[in-house]
Amino acid sequence: MRARIIDRQDLLKIVDLLTTEYQVVAPFRGRGRDTYFDVVTGANRDLIQLHLPNPYYPPKRYVFPQSQRLMTLRRNGDLQIEPYYDAPKRAIFGIRSCDVAGIYQLDQVFLKGLYKDVYYDMFRKNLFLVNVVCTDSELDMDEDCFCVCADTGPAARNWFDLQIMDLGSELLVVAGSPRGEALFSNDFFRQATPAHVEKRREILTDIRRRFDKSTSWYSAAIRHITLGQVTDETWEEIGNRCLECGGCSYVCPSCNCFTVSDKQVSENEAERLRLWDSCALSGFTRMAGGHNPRKAVHDRRNRRFFRKLAHYYIQRELSVACIGCGRCVNVCHGNVGMPAVVEIIRRTKAEAEQR
Amino acid sequence: MHSFNPTLTTCTFCGVGCGIYLEKSGGLITGAYPSMSHPANQGKICVRGWHVHEVASSPDRLKNPLLRVNGDFQEVSWQKATDFIVERLTKIFRESGPDSVGFLNSPRCSNEESYLLQKFARTVIGTNNVHHGGPLHRQNTIQTLIEMIGVPAATNSIGELEKSEAIIVDGIDLGRQLPTIGGRVIRAKLNGAKLIVTGSRRHRVAEQADYFLQIKPDTDLLLYGAMAKVIVDRGLVDYRFVRQHCHGFEAWLQTIQDFNLLAAADRCGIEVELIENAAIAYARARSAAILYSTGVEARGVEPIQALVNLALLTGNVGREGGGLMPLAEYNNLQGICDMGVMPDRLPGYRPVSDPKARKALEKLWGKPVPPNPGRDIWSMLGSGDTPLRAVWIDRHNPVATAALCDAAQVLEQADLVVLQHMFMTNTAKYADVILPLVAFGEEDVTYTSTERRVQIAQKAIDPPPGPIPAWHHLVIVANKMGARWSYASSSDVLDEIAKAVPFYSGISYENLGREYGRQWPCTTDKKLGTGYLFEDGLPEAGFQFAAVHRPPDAASRPTDDYPFYLSLGYSLYYWHRNVLIQHSETLRREYGILLLDYPEGFIEINGQDAKRLNIRDGAKVRLVGQVGSAVSTARVTDEIRPGTVFVPYFQQEIARQIVWTEGARKSNVDNPVFVRVEKA
Amino acid sequence: MSEVHTGMIDQVRQEASNAGIEPPFENVYLPKSAVLERVVQEIKEVKTFYWRFEDPAEQAKFRNFRPGQFAQVSIFGAGEFPASLPPSPTEDELFFTIREVGSVTRAMHEMKPGDRFAIRGPYGNGFPMEDYYGQNLIFVAGGIGLIPLRSCIVYALHNRDRYKRIQIFYGARTPGDLMYVQNLREWEKAPNFECYLTVDRAEDGWSGHVGVVGSLFTGLELPVENTTVFVCGPPVMFRFVLKDLKGMGFQDKQMVSTLERYMKCGVGKCGHCCIGVAYVCVDGPVFNLEQIKKLGEEI
Repeated sequence: MRARIIDRQDLLKIVDLLTTEYQVVAPFRGRGRDTYFDVVTGANRDLIQLHLPNPYYPPKRYVFPQSQRLMTLRRNGDLQIEPYYDAPKRAIFGIRSCDVAGIYQLDQVFLKGLYKDVYYDMFRKNLFLVNVVCTDSELDMDEDCFCVCADTGPAARNWFDLQIMDLGSELLVVAGSPRGEALFSNDFFRQATPAHVEKRREILTDIRRRFDKSTSWYSAAIRHITLGQVTDETWEEIGNRCLECGGCSYVCPSCNCFTVSDKQVSENEAERLRLWDSCALSGFTRMAGGHNPRKAVHDRRNRRFFRKLAHYYIQRELSVACIGCGRCVNVCHGNVGMPAVVEIIRRTKAEAEQR
Repeated sequence: MHSFNPTLTTCTFCGVGCGIYLEKSGGLITGAYPSMSHPANQGKICVRGWHVHEVASSPDRLKNPLLRVNGDFQEVSWQKATDFIVERLTKIFRESGPDSVGFLNSPRCSNEESYLLQKFARTVIGTNNVHHGGPLHRQNTIQTLIEMIGVPAATNSIGELEKSEAIIVDGIDLGRQLPTIGGRVIRAKLNGAKLIVTGSRRHRVAEQADYFLQIKPDTDLLLYGAMAKVIVDRGLVDYRFVRQHCHGFEAWLQTIQDFNLLAAADRCGIEVELIENAAIAYARARSAAILYSTGVEARGVEPIQALVNLALLTGNVGREGGGLMPLAEYNNLQGICDMGVMPDRLPGYRPVSDPKARKALEKLWGKPVPPNPGRDIWSMLGSGDTPLRAVWIDRHNPVATAALCDAAQVLEQADLVVLQHMFMTNTAKYADVILPLVAFGEEDVTYTSTERRVQIAQKAIDPPPGPIPAWHHLVIVANKMGARWSYASSSDVLDEIAKAVPFYSGISYENLGREYGRQWPCTTDKKLGTGYLFEDGLPEAGFQFAAVHRPPDAASRPTDDYPFYLSLGYSLYYWHRNVLIQHSETLRREYGILLLDYPEGFIEINGQDAKRLNIRDGAKVRLVGQVGSAVSTARVTDEIRPGTVFVPYFQQEIARQIVWTEGARKSNVDNPVFVRVEKA
Repeated sequence: MSEVHTGMIDQVRQEASNAGIEPPFENVYLPKSAVLERVVQEIKEVKTFYWRFEDPAEQAKFRNFRPGQFAQVSIFGAGEFPASLPPSPTEDELFFTIREVGSVTRAMHEMKPGDRFAIRGPYGNGFPMEDYYGQNLIFVAGGIGLIPLRSCIVYALHNRDRYKRIQIFYGARTPGDLMYVQNLREWEKAPNFECYLTVDRAEDGWSGHVGVVGSLFTGLELPVENTTVFVCGPPVMFRFVLKDLKGMGFQDKQMVSTLERYMKCGVGKCGHCCIGVAYVCVDGPVFNLEQIKKLGEEI
C-alpha cells in the first residue's frame, strides 16, 4: 500500500512542502470550542495541531464559497459579460474524513450530470486535501458526530490526496492520489511496515467503539423515506420544531443549493453573485405569481431528508448524502438534526405498526 | 488578497446578540456563521444572521454627506455638511431656545453613538428632548420594573432557560422575532420543562406548548390575575420569599380576590382547567421564567405588573433559571435605554428630575444638565404641541412608522433636519443634511443585548472611503460648537460610559474582549459581570407588589353587528421594511413573500371564520367598525384566533380609518375595537 | 525545507489570483449578448419579444433547439429568469412570450427594440417529437399554457406528413385572454388540423364554444391508441383534463406535459427546481405522467 511513516516532529514538513505550491489552510483554536480554518503563515505555523475539534464552518467553502462573484455585466451601448475566475491553489491541511466525503458529494453534483460547473471545477482541481484521521476521542470527536453510521470515517477510504493518522510515536501517511504520492519522494518519509498497518487497525477499531452515545442508524429511515411511507403527521411533528433558519443546509458539508443575485454596482455595471441558499426556507420554491409547491414547513423538512436519505441517491453515488459530521445537530434550534429525525421516523413507524 | 481570518463579532439584527464569525476576502465580508461557544446562541443563529454578509457590503449605500441645495441633494464634504449643521443649529437654538431642538435615535444605534447623542442634546444644546423610535411602549416596562424590582432589564440569562422547569412565553412569536431564544425554549421543553404559551396567535413555539392559552386579545390581565389567584388559593405562594423580600403583598392580595377563575376563563375564551394547570405548573416549578415582548407587541403597564407579580409570588426573582425577560426585538433597545436616550431619564436610568443624579453627571461632563424632562417622541413628531424647529435623527425612520402618522408633516416644516443613515430612506426625503455612517463590521462599537450582555461588534474590514462612524459625527459637530470632546476612538467613549452609567463601571473594550462580552451590572468590583440579577444576594430594599385591579366588566364587547375583535400589531412582515433585509437577495425573498402574495397589503382571518363567511384567501374584504371602514385583502391563516381579525401595523390607512380618529393615538389595549367582516 | 517565508506564501497567493485565468471548459453560466428586435403585445401583461444573438455563430448553434426547451434570459441589473421557447425550430425567428409577473419580467417589459440583453441555452429535455412520428397528436392547453406547446404544434404543422391525426383543444378565460390569435386562425383554417377553441366567459362578440377546455371533449371520440396527448395549463385545468383523459382510456405514458418550477441556474445545480429525484431544468421540463408519478414528490 502507498503508506509511509514519518516522525511526529516532521509533521510540519508536510505543511512546508505544500506551501511551496499552495496556499495552505489549517484548523486553529479560537475561543472555547470554536475552531476555524485559517491561512498558514510564518506567524501561526507553529500553532498547527493535529487534534482539535472539527471547525464548524464546513470546508465546502473552499470549493463552494458562501458568496462568490460569477461575472460582471457591463452596459455601454452593447452588453458585455465578463466572467470572474479566482481559484487559488489551496491545500486543506487537516480535513476530517467525514468532510472529505462531503467534498465527494459536492463533486457528484457539480461535476457530474449533463453540465459541469466550471467555477467548482477550478476550485476543486486546485484543491489538495490532507485528511487527518480522528483518533483522539476526547479532542477530535464531537458529542454529536456519527461518521461510523454514515460509513464515512473515522478514516476516509478515498477522495483525499494525503491521509495522516496518529499512531502515537509516529504518524502513518497514506497517499490517495498521484500528487499526494509525489510528496513521498522527500527523505523524511520512510516505508511503513505491517506492524504499522496493524496498529492503524487497532486504533480504528478502538475509536469506532467510542461512538456509543452519538449515533444515527439510518436503515429504517432510508427504507421508509424511499418507500414514501413517512406520514404527513410525522413531518408535521418535525416541522413544528423547525424555526426555518436554514442552518442545517448552511453547515452541511454536502449541501449545495444556491441562489444567484444580480447587484447593480453602478449605472452601467452589475455583478452576478452566487450565494448559499437553503431548501428549508419558505421562499425557496416560490414561483413568481405566487404558487409555492413547498409552502408548508413540513413539506420542506420532507424534502431535506428525502434528498439526504432516499435510496435513489445512495445507489447513484454509492454513498449516503449525509456524511455524519453532526453539525446539523449543533446548529438546529429545535433539535431536528439528522439523528433526531431518524429516530422520530423510526419511532413513529414502530408506533404505527403496533396499532 | 485572500484573508480568511474570521472575525468574531455580535450579530446586530435582534436583541439576542448571537456570537457570529465573519469571513472576509478581498476587503469584503463574504460569509457569516455562528460561534459554537457563545453563551447565548451556542452554534445557532437565525436566517438573518446567516445572510449578514450580503447586507454589509451593499452597492447603494451612501458614501458622502448630502446637503439639500435648491431642493436637490448634492454630495458635499464633511467640512461643508457639518459647518452647515452648526450654523443652522446655533441660529435656531439662539432664536427659539434649546427646547426647539429634538433628538431621536433608533434601537439599532450603538451604545457609543447613543451616549454621545444624549450628551450632545443635554450639554451642547441644553435640552432633554431626546428619545428613541422603534418600540413605543418600552417605557412601560422600564417604569414598571424599576418600581417593582428596581432594575429595568432581564433578570436572568438566555442560557439559563435550559435550567428552567417552567417557562411562560407571553404573546411573542419567538420563532420569528428572536429565533435563538425560541430554540432555547423549544429545547427546554423537549428536556422536560413545562411550556406555557399565552397569546391569541398560534405561532411555531406555541405548537410545542404543554399549555397553550390562546386567549382573546387583550384579556391577558384577566388571565394573569386568575393565575395568581389559583396560586394563592392552592397554597403555592412562596411565603418565605414574599414575607422576607416583598412589600405591598397585603394590598395586592386584596385586589386579587376580585379575580374570578370562571369569569376569567369565560372572558379569555379558554377552559378553566387550562388556566389552573398552567398556574400550577408555573408555581410548582423550582425555577420558572417569564418571557414577554416589550416592543413589538404594545404593552400597557398593568399586564407587565401582573407578570412581575407572578414572579414575586413564586420567588422567581433572584433565582437561577427563573426571572423575567423583557425581550428586546431590536438589537440595542436595552443599550440605548441604558444610555439614557429618554426625555425623563439620564444614563443609568436616574430621573432627570433628581438633582443628585444631575449633579453626578454635571461633574463628569463639566456642563449643566437641564432639569426639566423633555418631550417624548409622540410629542416631538406629533401635530399637537409646538413644532420643533430642528430635528436630529440617528438611523430612525419615523416617516415609515405607522404610529407616527404626523411625522412627515412635522419634519417638512422644521428648519433643520439632520439624518444619520446608511441608505436613503423614506425619512431621508425630508432631511436637509444626510451624514453617511459605516456598516456593520466596519467599526468597533458595543451593543447591549436583551440579557444585559454588553458586547463588541468587531471591525472586520475597512469602510469604503467616505462614511465615518456615527458616534464620530457627533464629536465633529459638538467640537465645532465649542464642546472640546476628545474621543480618539470608540474605546474612549466606552470608558466614559463606564463612568456615567454605574452598572457599566467595570466595562472596557479590553474586558469585553476577553470572552463574550459582559452582562451588567459589571462594576469595578464585579468585573466578570452578572449572570442573573441578585445572584449575590437579594436587595435590602426588597421588591414591590403592584396592586392590579380587575378590569371592569363593562368594557366593550363584540356584538352581532361587530363580532370580530380587531387586533393591531406587528406581524413578522414589518421586517420587510428593514433596510438591512432589503439588501440581501434571500432575506428580501423570505421577508417579502407576504407582500408579493398580497401586494396591496392584507388583514388576517382564521380559516374557520373565513369558511363560514365564504371568504377565500386573497379575496377583497371590508372591515366595518363603528368609526369607519376599510377595504383590504384577506389572508386566511390558522395562526389567528377564531373571532379575531389581525391588522399589521404597516397598514397605516386601516389603522387610521378604523382605530385612530384624528389625534387619538391610544393603542387598542385601552380601547378595544370590534368590526364586522364583509366581502368587498 | 524547514522554514516558511510569509513572503513566498503571499507570492504564491498573488500568482494564483491574477485575472486572465482560462477556464478548462465552457462556462455554462455565461449568457451571450442578444439584441431585442421587436416587441408585440399579445394579451394583457403578455408580450412577445423577437430577438437574435449578436454573434451569428451563437445564433446558428442555438437554432438546433427542440420544441419544449427553454432558455435563461438575463436583463441587465434585474436578474435572470427561465423562458420557454415558443418558436418551432422550423421557423425563422427566435422569440419569447413573457408575462409580466415579477421584478425581472417587469424590467424586460420596459425594454425597447435595439436594447441589449443576454441569453443562454437552450436547456431542458424538450419534447421528443421524433419519437411520436406516426402517432396521433392531441394538444390540450389552457391560457398561457399554449406558450410552451406552440413550439410543438408548429413543428407538427411543418412536419404534417410525419403524424396522423392532429387535434388542438385550447381555452382561455375570456376571448381577450386567448394567446397567439393569428396562429389560432391559421390552425383553424389549416387542412388536416382540427382546432377546437373555447372560452370560460364569452365577451366581445364571441360566437364560439363557451366552457372549460375539458368541455370541448364532449361528443368527440378521441383516438386513444397510438396517440400522445400534450397537456399544459394552470394546475386546476391540468388536474381536471388529466381526469377526463384517464376516463377515456389514455395511459399515463401517453400524457406528456411541461412542468414549471422556480429556476435559478437552469443547469441542474442550484436545487430550486427539484421535484423528488429530478431536476426540472435537466431531467425535464417535459415529463409524461408515468414519470411524474415516479419522481418521489407530489407536484
